[in-house]
Amino acid sequence: HILSHYNHKHKYISLEFNVKNQLKFTNRPDNTAFTQQRLPAWQPILSAGIVIPGFVLIGLAFIGVGVALFVTSRSIQVLERDYTGDESGTPCASCANSNVQNSFGFCFPQSQGPVFFYYGLSNYFQNYRRYGTSKDDNQLYGVLKYFTSPSDNCAPYAYNSNNQPIVPCGSIANSMFNDTFKLYQTVNGTRQEVSLDGKGIAWWTDYNIKYRNPTNNPLKDAFNGTVKPIYWSKPAYELDTSDPSNNGFVNQDFLVWMRRAALPDFRKLYRRISQDKYPDGLPAGNYSLEITYNYRVYRFSGKKKVVFSNVSWMGGKNEFLGIAYLVVGSMCVFMSIVMLIVYAKFKFPDEE
Amino acid sequence: MTWKSPVALVREALQGQRAREKDLRSLMSNLPYEGLEKGKQPNRYFPSNAIKTTKYSLLLFIPMNLYEQFHRLANIYFVGLAILNFIPVVNAFQPEVALIPICIILSLTALKDAWEDFRRYQSDKKLNNTPCFIYSRKEKQFVERRWKDVRVGDFVKVVCNETIPADLLLLYTSDPNGVCLIETANLDGETNLKQRTAVSGVCNSFEPESFNGIVVCEKPNNNLNHFKCYEKPDNQKVGAGIESLLLRGCTVRNTDHAVGFVVYAHETKSMLNNSGPRYKRSKLERRLNIDVFFCFILLFAMCLIGALHFIWLYALPGVPPYLVPPANGHLDSPNLSSFYMFFTMIILLQILIPISLYVSIELVKIGQIFLITNDIDLYDEETDSRIQCKALNITEDLGQIEYIFSDKTGTLTENKMVFRRCSIMGTEYPHKENIRLAVLNEPESEEEVIYNQDLQPLPTGWSLESEEANSEDTHRHGSRRKSKVLGTTQSDVAFSSPLETEVIPDRKLLQQISRTGSSSRCQKIDPYLEFFLALTICNTVVVSMATTQRRRPLTSDNLRYEAESPDEAALVYATKAYGFTLLARTPDSVTVRLPSGEVLVFEVLDTLTFDSNRKRMSVLVRHPITKEYVLYTKGADYAIMELLGTPYAQRHLDCYAKEGLRTLCIAKKVVSEAVYKHWLVERQRALTAIDNREVLIMDTAVQLETNLTLLATGIEDRLQENVPDTIMALRQAGIKVWVLTGDKPETAVNIGYACRLLEDEDLVLVIDGRTLTMALSPDLRGDFVDLAKHCRSVLCCRVTPLQKSRVVKVIREKLKVMTLAVDGANDVNMIQAADIGIGISGQEGMQAVMASDFAISRFKHLKKLLLVHGHWCYTRLANMIIYFFYKNVQAYVNLLFWYQFFCGFSGSTMIDYWLLIFFNLFFTSLPPIMFGIMDRDISAEMLLGVPELYKTGQGEGDYRFTTFWVSILDAFYQSLVCFFIPYFVYQDSDIDMFTFGTPLNTTALFTILLHLSIEIKSWTVVHWVVMLGSVLFYFIVTLAYSATCVTCNPPSNPYWVLQNQMADPMFYLICILSTVVALLPYTFHVLRNSIALSPLIEAKHLDRLDPSMREEWMKEWRSYRGGGQVQRSTLS
Repeated sequence: HILSHYNHKHKYISLEFNVKNQLKFTNRPDNTAFTQQRLPAWQPILSAGIVIPGFVLIGLAFIGVGVALFVTSRSIQVLERDYTGDESGTPCASCANSNVQNSFGFCFPQSQGPVFFYYGLSNYFQNYRRYGTSKDDNQLYGVLKYFTSPSDNCAPYAYNSNNQPIVPCGSIANSMFNDTFKLYQTVNGTRQEVSLDGKGIAWWTDYNIKYRNPTNNPLKDAFNGTVKPIYWSKPAYELDTSDPSNNGFVNQDFLVWMRRAALPDFRKLYRRISQDKYPDGLPAGNYSLEITYNYRVYRFSGKKKVVFSNVSWMGGKNEFLGIAYLVVGSMCVFMSIVMLIVYAKFKFPDEE
Repeated sequence: MTWKSPVALVREALQGQRAREKDLRSLMSNLPYEGLEKGKQPNRYFPSNAIKTTKYSLLLFIPMNLYEQFHRLANIYFVGLAILNFIPVVNAFQPEVALIPICIILSLTALKDAWEDFRRYQSDKKLNNTPCFIYSRKEKQFVERRWKDVRVGDFVKVVCNETIPADLLLLYTSDPNGVCLIETANLDGETNLKQRTAVSGVCNSFEPESFNGIVVCEKPNNNLNHFKCYEKPDNQKVGAGIESLLLRGCTVRNTDHAVGFVVYAHETKSMLNNSGPRYKRSKLERRLNIDVFFCFILLFAMCLIGALHFIWLYALPGVPPYLVPPANGHLDSPNLSSFYMFFTMIILLQILIPISLYVSIELVKIGQIFLITNDIDLYDEETDSRIQCKALNITEDLGQIEYIFSDKTGTLTENKMVFRRCSIMGTEYPHKENIRLAVLNEPESEEEVIYNQDLQPLPTGWSLESEEANSEDTHRHGSRRKSKVLGTTQSDVAFSSPLETEVIPDRKLLQQISRTGSSSRCQKIDPYLEFFLALTICNTVVVSMATTQRRRPLTSDNLRYEAESPDEAALVYATKAYGFTLLARTPDSVTVRLPSGEVLVFEVLDTLTFDSNRKRMSVLVRHPITKEYVLYTKGADYAIMELLGTPYAQRHLDCYAKEGLRTLCIAKKVVSEAVYKHWLVERQRALTAIDNREVLIMDTAVQLETNLTLLATGIEDRLQENVPDTIMALRQAGIKVWVLTGDKPETAVNIGYACRLLEDEDLVLVIDGRTLTMALSPDLRGDFVDLAKHCRSVLCCRVTPLQKSRVVKVIREKLKVMTLAVDGANDVNMIQAADIGIGISGQEGMQAVMASDFAISRFKHLKKLLLVHGHWCYTRLANMIIYFFYKNVQAYVNLLFWYQFFCGFSGSTMIDYWLLIFFNLFFTSLPPIMFGIMDRDISAEMLLGVPELYKTGQGEGDYRFTTFWVSILDAFYQSLVCFFIPYFVYQDSDIDMFTFGTPLNTTALFTILLHLSIEIKSWTVVHWVVMLGSVLFYFIVTLAYSATCVTCNPPSNPYWVLQNQMADPMFYLICILSTVVALLPYTFHVLRNSIALSPLIEAKHLDRLDPSMREEWMKEWRSYRGGGQVQRSTLS
């Protein structure tokens, strides 16, 4: 067969030199590597020779990464306090009943590096579809046209009952978290307020690009003819009376709230412990937290909490990833040993 | 334009409809009505000759194309979902976004359709404006018009080498005998000339204006070989058939000019035959549809789970702030909102129904067909033809064939014949010189002729004496012949076989002829003379002078023979070698030159043409010297045997049959004048009949063909190149090869051995037509199939085309196997009965090719077509489809579905809509298509060298019921990994939605592409470019999109999300971990395969060795995998 194939080839090669003949082969397909499916190809086969060392390598690398992650995560200190206050025996047992100011104390160990102060909500579906669309990006971009006629997406939080436009419109803005906290350190029986830094807690791009205030000066003018969201106690341009640049749509707390959480149990950054005053992190000691309790969570069986944590290159404390890497890594090594034993019994023909 | 009442218009339309629908049409000449308005034209109801093959018009393109596209269920599904998305209570995306995929699919298809239609328009325009000559009464001559101006009832003149514009009834030709030669290559690919004769009665001195008859013809149909009509010039019927019809699209040859009456314009036979590409549904696709149905169930279940979220809503103590009431401010009841949610979920998870899969499959098949048609190994130089793929969507069926049904003549054999051996009066003339000739040149043929006159008793010891003499002859002639052969080889070997025209006479026979020629000529009818005369006269060979375009070789005296079947030409060339030259043939006469130089003109009284029921043809002539009416009949041996007046011992024929010769018999009968006259009347009546014309004509033929005396011949048709090798390979590949032939059992068995279909240790079933009829009866059918199932090969002899198709049908239905039918001639039934029909474009009859799904030019091409392309196409497509299901479920649907558990089943997506749509449309669509077109699991050399590998595709093949579910399970597992690893990492953190979705999406992309990378068996440049390109494209597009789009797609806003993530090392750690964990089980799955050592994996390993090593391995492999011994027994 090979011989005849060769002859066959040989025959038309010799004819190829004959120009007259060549003209008659008008239908002959192009003899290119692509059309004849003869492109040079790399044909990998997952054989023991590749897989076992591959598994060992991957396993070792994973174990390395896992150890690094685990160690890093271990070094992160986290302090969580639930202050929902709907159960007795919890730190803020009467918070939900009494109205405004509450406080509870806790002990904080020595920490390294900056400490972040979060508030946390659970069973809160910020990722609910209808909720997520209930905002007007153009309004939040500072386009005045949308102040007077907010997008339909915002309904029913676009206009109030007097048909006045709500700015910022929509459900997300309306439901903004409005508890406030003050942190005190108790040194020798006296309470010293810990200064908190609210700058730069939102994304840089949110603060500078995605959200903009109208250029009106003062900002209040832009909001003429509009009303504040129904649940809000203050209009948007008066969110932070102490810092005029922290008002309107670029208010840091507002920005943090508007970035919707991916999962129903989430925390959001509230403040950082001021690094100017506490460059080495929060010193160990007794602290008390004063809470202005405004946000109601019983309607959705939610929980509220505060979290103090320091961060590393891998963000907050997370032991899962490190453990996962360790487990997968050791599994790979283990599997490669098993495979080695199996292959010792069933050998490959080309490895003999 | 005069005003017409609507009633008149309707009546007119109805009349037209009735006129067109009538079984018989009466047509009149248009000339007396020339210049009159349309309403007065006699043939106004019949359409004009302008053709319009375009589907659309410029104005209505968009609505018509959309209408056309919405015939596809898939498109309706897509549009339905898009519409659903416009309903505010159920929408999942912004309404416009949901329209994107369907718009892209629709517009791509529309573009393709528009381009095709435009090309059709151009070719129509060109064709319609081709000039032609129509007679005009005003100008009293033929004037130049366009094809589109031709109407039914016109007189059209066609000149030499011009294409015929419409179906014309031939009335007059420049030839004094009223003959016009046409070439039908455009219609059926046959390049021999066919003879058409003018309708008798009007042939001399024809004037269109004096034509006052009515032509009555049948309703247009697409049968190229049948036409019935009669003409009534003056109350007297003149019948005409296909032999007087010039078909549109044919070319006039060797005739200066001809005039015809337009019978069909627009509804011509060639147009009616133009039915476009065939649509068949492949086995894999049928399978696929079942799985799509399962996807529907899966989708329904998932949506139902989504809808159950009302339980969760009920569980809440109050109205949470994130639950946004509709615009009217009142929340829907949980029941209603969960009902809405069901539809929202359908929109969200719609990709589970893989609409893009159908588009991708179409693209993949186009690519596969491109590669098949471009295979240089499937190209035949001799005919300059590639393989033609007529059915566009059954390429993968080629990889699953279990039964092949093959015809013999023209399929296994060349169907090219040359006179080489004959036996007259019991003496054999073996023509051994021709064997040498045949060996030296590739296309070989043999022919054996027995000649015996019934007056003579058959000598029994025919062989001994003559063979000795012949062997001497051979030695003597050997050297001389060789040198001659060498001379011809160098000149034109590639294009025409010298054998077709060149016959070396047997010396002994030559002597015999010259002896009788000189001594006993004209006294008593000499058997030798009579034999050659019969061969010369009894055929339909057309003698033609050379025209420049054609490249057939000419004989020395510039005669060329054009025959419809190659054996006819072979016989005429043979007689010519013995000095009996056919000089001319007209409908009325045959001119023959005898070896002595004397020219005899035989008056042809009638020609009873060949048909497949009678299996013979006859010519009735009047001998110029004896004035006797002589009927010469030629046909298959058994067709002649039953007509012989005296019983004839079959032994001699059997002897030849055992050598694999196809035996043809020639017989003779002298008819008395009285009998002839009586018969003529009957014949005339039959010819003018419209109903049952064929039957009547056949009956008259049968009436005359009785009591014949035998002059017998036998022809062997040589096997095509590499047939034994091909059949061996196909059988090793686990394919059962059945040969269904019209030949006698002995011939068939011999051919069976020659092509290695039969081998000594085989269990073989040989069955003849009559037995087969019984075997196929309903009560025996099951037993027959059971028996046949156990036989390695089956030979069916003397079967009719109808039986062939019944055999195929029975096997296909009873055994539920994939069948393939190969035919080289006209067995359309068989080809259409099988799952795949393959036509071999051979010497005669292109009908099989026209009805086939694939047309090849040699039988040996079947080997590569099935073993290599079939295997590749099947594995490629099966793997691609499985991958596609996996991909859709894994990446798109399940990730979204898992997320629903964490967003209150609200239909939220954690990825921007645009990126979701891009993900399926751009980032992951190209790799599977490329995979489906280009993947190559095993090299072609390996597949050809080890045909057993083909078995992997047979039966269930790669695409099993479990395969689908395994891939779905795998997809579920992978999606769980891709979702929950990031979930546990980001649990209870300040992660936002799109930031959470980004690693999910990226992991999904990597997993999908790496999964494919494991599937890809060989990586070429194209693979690397496409795979790496997809990853790059993902990052570039996503980065660009999240960097530029601040408010362009409210309320979804992924601004700077990917950038932020890519600056975070956790992103990479998550992606790496998820990808590895997701792919781990799959890697084990692949490894398990390599431990089990399937033949495919083994072959893959061998493929990596260098060629010489591989040869060794292949040999060794085949020896240890060789089949067991099977006992041989023959049944008949």
